[in-house]
Amino acid sequence: MLKRTFNCFLHIGGILTLIMFMSGCSLLKGPLYPDVIYNNRQPLISVTYEYGEIEVKLPLNYIGVVPEIISFEVYAHGDTANPIISILQEAPRVFFVYLPQGVLDIHSKSNIIKIIPQDKNFRPVTVRFKGIRFGRIALPPKSIQMGQLIVNGKVFLNKNEAPLGGVDVSIQNFDNVIKETTTNDSGFYQLSVPGEYKYAQHLRLVAGNNMIFKPFKQKLDFSQTLKMKYNIGMGPNKAMEDPIYLTNRESVHFREQPDIGSETLFLLGAGEAVSVTRVTPGEYYGSIEIKVDSEKMVQLDGWVNRADVILLDLNNVFKK
Amino acid sequence: MVRNYKWFLGSLLLLVNLFGQVKLSVKTIPKKVNIILDGINIGKSPIINDRITPGIHKFEIAKSGFAPITYDILVNPSQAVHLDFFMNPIYQVKFKTQEKGLVFELNGEHLWDDPFIRLDLEAGDHFLRVFKLNEIIDEQTIHVDEPKKFNYYLKKLISEK
Repeated sequence: MLKRTFNCFLHIGGILTLIMFMSGCSLLKGPLYPDVIYNNRQPLISVTYEYGEIEVKLPLNYIGVVPEIISFEVYAHGDTANPIISILQEAPRVFFVYLPQGVLDIHSKSNIIKIIPQDKNFRPVTVRFKGIRFGRIALPPKSIQMGQLIVNGKVFLNKNEAPLGGVDVSIQNFDNVIKETTTNDSGFYQLSVPGEYKYAQHLRLVAGNNMIFKPFKQKLDFSQTLKMKYNIGMGPNKAMEDPIYLTNRESVHFREQPDIGSETLFLLGAGEAVSVTRVTPGEYYGSIEIKVDSEKMVQLDGWVNRADVILLDLNNVFKK
Repeated sequence: MVRNYKWFLGSLLLLVNLFGQVKLSVKTIPKKVNIILDGINIGKSPIINDRITPGIHKFEIAKSGFAPITYDILVNPSQAVHLDFFMNPIYQVKFKTQEKGLVFELNGEHLWDDPFIRLDLEAGDHFLRVFKLNEIIDEQTIHVDEPKKFNYYLKKLISEK
């Protein structure tokens, strides 16, 4: 009886174990829902950008005078209305500027550095360059110099105010010719020299070296201006009456009396005009024009040796 | 000569390619997750000193036990971009009730009527709705932040670790 009861329990236990094996552990753990259930919560994502820097290096050469202060303006993509950065600083030998990544045009030379010396005697200089995304840009050296000094005007004949073409005109410092030109058919000339001569003490304008007249010489003072105009009259003035003779050599004695030994009033240079009124076998008596008080012309009478002068022919005023 | 020329051309192309790209680093929590960039497996995280071109890209990140991430990004022209992904874990939750004849719905799409079930739930809040005879009898939000066991009693949810 006890044995039968034990066998019955054994059978029941065996059946339960079999059921457990067949159904797996789900009987104890429960079934698993087939899908993962998401709640579409936004994941945490952090994005950090690292931007590079652009270093632009521009060496500057100062020719002659160095301006005290320079304003540098950097533009990109050809937009010259809105600078990326403006820097006012003492004139550097090398200009450095640091820009954030991405501001420059990396496809064409549409980026600009404007160099504006804070001195009206200097003209602004522009440097165009192609950008990079980030890193260093070394630009070729740029020269900074004062604005050109300009002198222009017309050359004419004093006697009849006719324009003179083909006249040599030059600017000289001491006796060194810096720049020279020749007048056009209208008698016009224009000369420009570098701004470094702005404060030169011995700068002068010389005209008519290729003419039979005494050359015109005028000291130039650009300290107050960059541009000057000089109209140059060559030869004797209207006030001098014909016949007019010109001295044919340097140091011609212009005497008070015709006789040798009389007082020499002036030593005339080559090409100076003498308006002759009386003639003797060896001498001419006439008048010369001299400038007094730098502007006013006065006539002075005297004698010159006939061999020292030649008759002026206005149809042939250039040296042969 | 031709070989040298090819080598030079190759180097030039490589240089141009590198120059136009942005340095990329990708980190994830957890680590050692496959990173798929624009459909190409670029390796396991962390990824350092890789390259990416400026523009639109798609990252796909998946790991067993975490909710997958799909992330579209417009990469700006920059020197480098660093991405950190924090993956959302999935916890196994046991859900049990003594009530009879109830149907449960989670997040408006997942339904079951078993009185005892195991669920794989993404960490965070889930919206539970309870039906009886096709009528809503209860609504509530359950918060999952670890493996848990929920015991549901009508209009009263009791959770236990």
